[in-house]
Parts: sequence; C-alpha cells; structure tokens
Amino acid sequence: MSESSLRKATSGRLIAITVTLIILLSPFLWLLQMSFKTNDQILQFPPPLIFTPTLENYVALWHSAFSASIVNSLMSASLSTALALLFGVPAAYALSRWSGRGKHGLSFAILVTRMAPPIAFTIPFFLFYRWIGLLDTITGLVLVYTSFNLPLVIWMMQPFFDTIPVSLEEAALVDGARTRTVFTKIVLPMVTPGIAATAILCFLYAWNDFFFALILTRTNARTAPVAVVNFMNYEGWEWGKIAAGGSLVMAPVLIFSLAVRRYLVSGLTAGAVKG
Amino acid sequence: MELTESGIDLERRRFIAFALTPSLIVLFAVAVLPAIYLIVTSLTPFQLTTPGSATDFSEPLRNYGLLPGDPRFVNSLAVQAKLSVASVFFQVLLGMLLALLLNVPSRFVEFARTFFLIPMVLPPIVVAVIWKLIYAPDISPLYYAAQALHLTLPALTSSVDFALTSIVIADTWEWTPFTFLMVLAALQTIPDEYSEAALVDGASKLQIFWYVTLPFITPILVISGMFRLIDSVKAFPLIFLLTGGGPGTITEVTNYYAYLLAFDTNEIGYSSAVTVVMLLLVCGISLGLVWMGRRKEALA
Repeated sequence: MSESSLRKATSGRLIAITVTLIILLSPFLWLLQMSFKTNDQILQFPPPLIFTPTLENYVALWHSAFSASIVNSLMSASLSTALALLFGVPAAYALSRWSGRGKHGLSFAILVTRMAPPIAFTIPFFLFYRWIGLLDTITGLVLVYTSFNLPLVIWMMQPFFDTIPVSLEEAALVDGARTRTVFTKIVLPMVTPGIAATAILCFLYAWNDFFFALILTRTNARTAPVAVVNFMNYEGWEWGKIAAGGSLVMAPVLIFSLAVRRYLVSGLTAGAVKG
Repeated sequence: MELTESGIDLERRRFIAFALTPSLIVLFAVAVLPAIYLIVTSLTPFQLTTPGSATDFSEPLRNYGLLPGDPRFVNSLAVQAKLSVASVFFQVLLGMLLALLLNVPSRFVEFARTFFLIPMVLPPIVVAVIWKLIYAPDISPLYYAAQALHLTLPALTSSVDFALTSIVIADTWEWTPFTFLMVLAALQTIPDEYSEAALVDGASKLQIFWYVTLPFITPILVISGMFRLIDSVKAFPLIFLLTGGGPGTITEVTNYYAYLLAFDTNEIGYSSAVTVVMLLLVCGISLGLVWMGRRKEALA
C-alpha cells in the first residue's frame, strides 16, 4: 500500500461522509422545510416531501409580537457586545503586556466566572433586578450578557495582543508617543480581525441565550428564543410559526459562524477550565 | 514631551492598570458579589411570598441539613450523573469516529467539515425545538419511518424507559461536533512519519490506529470529554422543552430542580442551597480532572 492511498479521500470514504452529513443535518433540515409549509401540510401523514413552499408563517410572524422580540434580541445582543468589547479589549491588552506575578492566577480567576452554570447567577440577578426594577428590561439583559461575555473577550483577545512584538511599541514610545496613543493608533488597528471575530462570538452568545431571558424577562424585553417557545401554548401548538420562528432565530447564527469558524473552538471552550 | 526610560515604564504601568481596572470592577460586581449573595440566601428560608424570610438567619444551615433527606435532590444528582456519563461517552466516541473519517486532505472534505459544525452553533433552544419536532408522534418523520417499517414507537419523551435516552440523543447530536472539532485538530498534528514507518513495518490500519493514532489523541479525548462533562449541567433547554423533568422526576437534573424550586415554587433559599452544592460539585470535578491531567503529564 502506498502512502497516497492511505491519505487520499477514497470514494468509499466520500460516500460515508455524505451519508453521515445527511443523517446529521436531517433534523435541522426538517425544521427548515416545515417553516415553508401550511399547517395542513404539517399535520398531513405521511408528511409530503414535495410541496409548494409558502411564506405565510413568516408573514404571520412579521405581523405578530414576534417581530418586537427579534428587535429585543438584536438590541440586547449588540449593546452587550459593544460594552463587553469596550471593557474587555483594554483589559486583554493589559493582561498581555503585564508580566506581574499574579498574571496567571488573575487570568484563571476571570475564566472561572464563566464556568458556573447560569442558574448560579440567575437567582441573585433576579432578586437584585426585582429590587431595583430591572426585571423585563433591555438594560437588565444587556448587563447580564455583558458580564457573561467579558471573560470571553479577555480570553479571546489576549493571544492576539501576544502576537504583536513589544519592540514595535517601544520604538514609538522612545519617539515620545504616549502609551494610550500607541494602544489606539498602533496596536488596536493590528488586532481588528480578532476584534471582529470576538464581537461575532459575543453577539452569538447573547443571541443564543435562553435561560437568562426566560427568567429575567416577561413581555416588554422578551427575546426571540423565549418568544418561539411561547408558540407552544395551551390552545394548541402552532407548528408553522414555531418552525418559522426557530429558522429566523438560527439564521444569523448560521451566517456569522461561517464567518468566524476559525475561532469557534477557542470561543466555545472559553467557558471551561484550561487544563 | 521627552520621557526617560523609567518614565516610559511608569507611564506604561499606569496605563496597564487603567486598562485592567474597569473589567475587574465589573467582574467583581457581576460575578463575585452574586456568588456571595447566593451563599447568603442559601442560609435563609427565603420565599418570595413570606415577608422577612430573606433576612432570617436563625437557622443558617437548615437548608443544607435538609438536602441529604430530600429524595428529589438525591434523585436529581443520580439523573445528572447518568445523563452526563452517557452523553459524554457517546460524544467523545462519535466525535473521534467523525474526526477519523474526515481527516483527509481533500477540498470536498474540508468544505464538508463546516457543515458538521451546525448543530453546535445553533441556539440551544432551537436545538430543543428541532428535537421536540422529531419526538412529536403526530408530525415527526421518525414516527412515520417507524410506521413504514411496521414498528410501533412509544412516545419517547414521555416514556419512563426512553425519556432520559431521548435527552441523551439530542444532547449528543448537539455536542458531538465539538468533540469532533477538538479531535480533528489533534489528528492534524500527528506527524506523517509515524504511520508511514508503521506501514513500512507491515502494520494494518487497525494496528496503526491502536498503537500510533490513539495514544497521540488520548489527551485531547480526555480534555474534550472534560469540557463536555463540565458543560453537561447546562442541558437546560432540552430538558425544559422536551420532558419538563418528567415523566415524574426521571429526567429532573439538579440544575432543573433548582430552577423549579426558585422560579416555580418560590423556594429561593432552598434553591440557593441546591445551587451552591451543585457549584461545589462542578468545581470539585473540574479541579479533580485538572489535577488528574497534571499528574498524567508528570508521569508521561
């Protein structure tokens, strides 16, 4: 057997990959196709695989309270992303450049805040919000998501700053520039791709959240993931709207994660311990 | 303005402190203070409906004393253990098999890899909705397929025998891409020379896997399993939507029990105690795994 026959994709392997992919994605595709069916078609048994797609579920959502929940999701996710970057990017730079003794302990402590199951934060947040009137507000959600994303920003951005040679900054400093100027004019532009990737991951985390929104919102600040579940009510389940709502909630996720797939692993593991 | 060497150093240090401080203040306020507050409430019989209960510290350890005798709490730990062990096992095994299958230098395969990641990036509640569909007897393709094969499937999510399995299946679907991604990254660091040398020596493919590939990827299998184990307590949306903890308490994990206590029955104090114990267990397991990892490295 030659070396190339071991490593090249054989047709048997390609078939296996295709079959696995179809099996893996069929639950997801099932939801997607259902969002283009009428309620009658959805309840038909056996389910029709060939049908005339309709947009009526999406139109119904557009005219319902669901559109407001999409706006709530967009606002809380983007505002919390901006705030987490505002606080987290300078902190990541500082951690990268600081060679003090407590550096690793501090990085680890920052990470630990992300490790805990959300319920540990929800009880105190719920009580506190109830007390100061932040329940069911976008501000309340933004605050939770910012705190949740801050460790992610610090953890994701630090390696980007680590790759910039300190000598580059020192040259500017010797020429008389202030550290602040060096940071904003020289360092920040060099890590723009990192900031973009981090921003997308932060946005997705906030956008994907179900648990915090379930507990900390009611009607005014209800986000899209919670609104989808509300279509499963006692008067009967509106499967068409559920499928269309679910598809809308996952649309930005699919688009964005393609854009940042290189950074997905580091982003997703930010919640766990670094062994 | 001309700065001396030490002047530059001082100014830089000031800037670093200035850049770090706001984040530390925020994290202290939104992570450390809530944790302390959680511990404080766990020492009270706090119920939202009982005035004064939030500040009643007359019997601080009462909640903790009740835990060992609470069958729902004890059951929830057992359910979590079963769910975690089963789903982590399948996620690591399937993730490894997928990675082995897709570890070939081919344009098509590289393109296909991205699509294997979809379940992991979907919003958890959408994953739950997808599986709700698959498990809904009246509209599910699964039940239609079973009928076509003359099989009768029970209502999986409300069946005593299959409810937990149905959660394991959905969780495995959602998170196998994660272990796949981790193992694939590890596979790509194995130098070609190893398997080539083994080939020259006449080793079979199975032998190469067992003696060359597997030892190489064992650390990453352990690490990704550990990540998943720690995160497996977060299967909340699946349980919330698919089974609601039922039938009975068959799928009621500790996380879900704590949620019901606090936000369904208003037992904030007791729920906090359950949460504190759960947090200690998660931290204990994480630290134990880190320690094991270090020991293994030291031995190797």
